[in-house]
Amino acid sequence: MKVKTLGLCFTAALLAACSEPPEIAAKAAKRPDVAPYMGANNGFVTKNWTPGNQASWTESIDQRNQGQNEYSRLK
Amino acid sequence: MARMKFICDTERCIECNGCVTACKNDNEVPWGVNRRRVVTVNDGIIGQEKSVSVACMHCSDAPCMAVCPVDCFYRTDEGVVLHDKDICIGCGYCSFACPFGAPQFLSKGAFGSRSKMDKCTFCSGGPEENGSVAEFEKYGRNRLAEGKLPLCAEMCSTKALIGGDSDIITDIFNNRVATREKNGHYPGSKAFGWTTAYGGLDTPAPTPTPAAKIPGAK
Repeated sequence: MKVKTLGLCFTAALLAACSEPPEIAAKAAKRPDVAPYMGANNGFVTKNWTPGNQASWTESIDQRNQGQNEYSRLK
Repeated sequence: MARMKFICDTERCIECNGCVTACKNDNEVPWGVNRRRVVTVNDGIIGQEKSVSVACMHCSDAPCMAVCPVDCFYRTDEGVVLHDKDICIGCGYCSFACPFGAPQFLSKGAFGSRSKMDKCTFCSGGPEENGSVAEFEKYGRNRLAEGKLPLCAEMCSTKALIGGDSDIITDIFNNRVATREKNGHYPGSKAFGWTTAYGGLDTPAPTPTPAAKIPGAK
């Protein structure tokens, strides 16, 4: 009986090592990402749109996209 | 909503490696890691030599996301596949799953012989604060949040590599192909990697997953 109890305690102690402390589990959880139209916290943001305004960001990016189209640039 | 994608026009790529250099420099990518590289096939065979600039294609149904055992990947509303380096364990499954060889690892790092995974972020950083030093150190520049497009595409001298909203860049590419056909040339009517990464015409648009939808996200 004593050996059995000791064995159970030993197993429980071993298995406890496999658990993950809650603070580590929380740290490994996915964090939210902020959308690009919210702007960047540096001095390199282009001036032709308003950070936080999705429509203005989309319009600005679409315009910038056309910079890669030499057919439209040559017109 | 914009769906950010890359196209490389193999008829225009001249293997200058400008995109590779721009990416490494702008993002301060460490020695031994190349987020973008230029692959050349039929090297030296006149008329058959083709070069293509390859990086993460930000697949619609990304295999790296499917195999990641710690679920560190997420897809933004802009269709960009990103990952959280604080969750990545550097197991390397994603590099085996990726058809483009995009996931990269430093040969030495915190996890024995392999570091945490590093890959092209479409110049849109990671889950750290947009434009912050922490974001730059882990993921490189966040040009999307600065109102810009990836530098590799924007600085491509021949405009072989184009990146941005899929509707616009496919329109640019289709226009080129139509012009070539009009001039009696038919090469390069299919963009390298497009169907592999984004599927055919009947492929449904991907659903943005989790990080942007987590409570607290702006």
